[in-house]
Amino acid sequence: MTTTTTDLVIGMAGSGGDGIVSAGESLVAAAARDGYHAMMTKSFGSQIRGGESSCRVRLSTAEVLNPGGALDVAVALNWEDFLKFGAELPVSGGTVMIYDAATGVAPDQLPLAGVKPAEVFPVPIGEIARKATGTDKARNTVVLGLLSGWFGIVREGVMRGLRKKLAKKGQAVLEANERAFQQGIEYAASHPLQTPRTMEKPADSGAKLLTDGNDICAAAALFAGCQFFGGYPITPSTEVMQLLTREIWKYGGAVLQAEDEIAGIGAAVGASFAGKKSMTATSGPGMSLKTEMIGLATIAELPLVIVNVQRAGPSTGMPTKSEQADLYQAIFSAHGDAPRPVLAPTSVSDTFDVTVEAFNIAEQYQTPVIVLSDQEIAQRKEVIDPIDTSRFVRVDRLRPTPAELESYARFHITESGISPISHPGMKGGNYLGAGIEHNERGEPTASGSIHQQMTDKRFRKLLPLRGREDLFRIEGDENAPLALVSWGSTAGICREALRMARAEGLRVKLLVPWLLYPIAEKVYRRFFASVRAGVVVEQSQQGQLYRVLRMELDLPRGLRSFCRPGANPFRPAEVVAALRDAALDLQRRAHHQQPQE
Amino acid sequence: MATLMGIDFAALSLKDALDLAVLIEEEAKERYEDFAQQMELHHTPEAARFFRFMAGNEERHRAELSARRLALFGGEPRRVTRGMLFEVEAPEFDEVRVFMSPREALRVAFRAEEKAWAFFVEAAPRVGDEGVKELFAELQNEEVHHQRLVLAELEKTPPESALEHADVADDPVAQ
Amino acid sequence: MTSLPSFSAKDFKSDLKPIWCPGCGDFGVLQAVYRALAAVGRPAHEIAFVSGIGCSSRIPGYTTAYGFNSVHGRALPIAQGIKLANPDLLVLAAGGDGDGFSIGGGHVPHAIRRNPDITYIVMDNQIYGLTKGQLSPTSPKGLKTATSGYGSLENPVNPLLYVLAYGAPFVAQGTPADMSGLAQVIEEAIRYPGFSFVNVQSPCVTYGEEEGQVKAQKARMKTLQSLGHDPADQLRAIDLARSSGTELYTGVFYRNPEPAPTLDALVRERKEQLGKDALPRERILELFLQR
Repeated sequence: MTTTTTDLVIGMAGSGGDGIVSAGESLVAAAARDGYHAMMTKSFGSQIRGGESSCRVRLSTAEVLNPGGALDVAVALNWEDFLKFGAELPVSGGTVMIYDAATGVAPDQLPLAGVKPAEVFPVPIGEIARKATGTDKARNTVVLGLLSGWFGIVREGVMRGLRKKLAKKGQAVLEANERAFQQGIEYAASHPLQTPRTMEKPADSGAKLLTDGNDICAAAALFAGCQFFGGYPITPSTEVMQLLTREIWKYGGAVLQAEDEIAGIGAAVGASFAGKKSMTATSGPGMSLKTEMIGLATIAELPLVIVNVQRAGPSTGMPTKSEQADLYQAIFSAHGDAPRPVLAPTSVSDTFDVTVEAFNIAEQYQTPVIVLSDQEIAQRKEVIDPIDTSRFVRVDRLRPTPAELESYARFHITESGISPISHPGMKGGNYLGAGIEHNERGEPTASGSIHQQMTDKRFRKLLPLRGREDLFRIEGDENAPLALVSWGSTAGICREALRMARAEGLRVKLLVPWLLYPIAEKVYRRFFASVRAGVVVEQSQQGQLYRVLRMELDLPRGLRSFCRPGANPFRPAEVVAALRDAALDLQRRAHHQQPQE
Repeated sequence: MATLMGIDFAALSLKDALDLAVLIEEEAKERYEDFAQQMELHHTPEAARFFRFMAGNEERHRAELSARRLALFGGEPRRVTRGMLFEVEAPEFDEVRVFMSPREALRVAFRAEEKAWAFFVEAAPRVGDEGVKELFAELQNEEVHHQRLVLAELEKTPPESALEHADVADDPVAQ
Repeated sequence: MTSLPSFSAKDFKSDLKPIWCPGCGDFGVLQAVYRALAAVGRPAHEIAFVSGIGCSSRIPGYTTAYGFNSVHGRALPIAQGIKLANPDLLVLAAGGDGDGFSIGGGHVPHAIRRNPDITYIVMDNQIYGLTKGQLSPTSPKGLKTATSGYGSLENPVNPLLYVLAYGAPFVAQGTPADMSGLAQVIEEAIRYPGFSFVNVQSPCVTYGEEEGQVKAQKARMKTLQSLGHDPADQLRAIDLARSSGTELYTGVFYRNPEPAPTLDALVRERKEQLGKDALPRERILELFLQR
């Protein structure tokens, strides 16, 4: 009796030399061609090559919100490496456990403390590979065959992928690998699962996009009209720069891989001063270095997009692990009263939207804007539906009219706080840009009253952002007493948790801000009006969004922070548990308030 | 350092020489105005007043020479440019200081007049045209005359007090 | 025959009154810059003038160009960003010895090796004037300053030598003690196609030493021309630069007779080559399409 499933979470681990991540990538690419949605995350040891290596692939017939919880299928090419990944590859009582029989571990003696997987398959993976290709290097291809056979997926897709990948290696190698794949399928056929599970075919097998957060961020920048990128390599953001080094020239733009982080953003500031849409990307340590320039762009009122792909900190921290602890820095870094808008994507798909909007906000308000991505989103591959670019508006900075150029004052105090901005080359628009405080004409000043006016101008101009309801995702029952708030990659976990909680009968609603700062008071107030309890879920020790909200808003008494530092991803089930606790807490409080009979 | 570039004195015509003289005065006037502005910004009013006075002098002289040029040569295009000369009569940047006394300011003017005089003395033998020779001699004498005026002013100006500005002024400010 | 519009020095003078102390060497540099720009003939609105922080970094505001008085030590990266964004602009960078060779020192070799068509003017006065007289990287060893009351224990950097060693194709030095010479090297530097460096011995009248003032400079200075130096001789230039600190040589130390392609020229070329391969921006996501 075969059950079908619409969702499958596969986790695989081995050593770097086994090509396990490569297999994951083939799987995802093949899934994309078959029309599935997919999400793949990778995890490694700290060696550059040949360390332990793993990936998680989640396939679905519908949108994938997060990498999932416990594995449906686990593949261990060797146990030592598999176990190094601990909670990142969680095996449960529902998992189908596959491992190379050559490891010599008996199926009832698995080194998985306290866990008994649903089914266990010691497969002679290495042997099969050797028989098919003469070497056990094709183990990863055998694994693909096993998965294809057992779950009814990606057969054609993998074959096409193999052909593409191995074309250069000659016919013999290609055929050998195809054999390896086939024999994996055959093994699966002759050793069926006790509880067979096949994946349903996706309803629409239309074209999909396969990309990751970094690449799509760069693509969004190009779409938005970015003409300059200045930056420096740093994990996990380097890919943003790399895509732009391949593409931006085609659009008449330029990239500078600068000598350091400061020079990178400095060049971007210069390009913005010269009138171009301009960008930089980095991670935490780079943000710290770029702080001074962010302040400069703020007082000089220059548009600039700064992408921070957050990684675990502080300082060098854990470069390959995700965290959400740079929010304070994003909002408050740079000395002085230097506010700036902060946006955060929640998925690969909305990284496109958020990046485009970041450019719009930067240009409209003549300000640096920070995009807080995180390593999770930036480096996971997702298969997503194509994005209709025609629905996006693209904003250009307000430029002075010929009349205004007759007696131009760059920092003219207008009602909106936004003054038309010229750039070198524009006749009559000559002005002195500076980090020093200045009057309307850009002349340096030390006057308290002018400083007050100018500071007010710089704050006032951002006020309309507080009304941007469109930069929030709200789901669930409008009048629910329980709230779930989250941002960045954690939001994907929480969206799934919301569904699970509501299925259990909890009355919950979800708020996910894309706009983290300025705080859109009205939106929060309306959302929290019905709320008596809930949780703000995020990956940081301090629960930074929760605290920033507390700083600026009156929050419902029962709203708590559910937070912990990075590399400890949340699972939907534990978020649901936290919501249950909040519900109980609410009941108890309500009970205490009732008069005793 | 008075510098002239690209001028062939042997071939210098009267028109060119008059134009040169006008530009020399113009440069000097601008420099004195610049000095006056600096003195005003740096709260050294007496020196400022004197430099404004000198700027006025230079302007008057310039206007005179300009009128002569117009009378003799009308609107004929100028071949001599400001780019060809540096600090012939204009005092050098280094000459001024914050809180400088009126006497010090006068000495600046005196040195500048001396420099201008020296220029005309040095140039005279190289000049070919008779009219130019005459003009240079005239200008040379003007400088001497100016020097005497300045010296006379210097006599009238009270001597520097034992207590100088520098003794009383606040320390410089870090910015 | 079309003629370029002609400019006078006054066209580049802004209304902002300099805060520099009367007698400051930077006044000379400013005048020389006005002259050089007038001679070069680009209108002020096509000129971007970037500086860092310091007394000398105030200079862009005293010109009518698009000025950018940015943050300490970072004029060069910003200037390069401007030049790459719009290579048609005339881009100048300026600052003091601390701005350029202390905090900004890390940017100098890279600006030079990239060879953008930018002119960098450093006003070297061997002191930190704006902050009240502290040691600077070019202060001589043993100098007593606000932060070296017992005398500096450090050897000074040698900007000319560094810049020559980094491979700058145009290196010159000037002083306001010789205004025509200064204006001349600045003009030449601006005209030179590539990264050009002008070191100006621009004395500080408030904190500088007596030996550094204009009067003393006049007595000491020697033109490289009078030494018979050939600016095409890079090695001799390096040798002459080694005596910076003891000798005051003015003029062009080195001028590469075969200017290499500038960064902006190379970038322009690349944009032209690759421009035809561009997906329309609206279809950029096709980069990721899986069929």
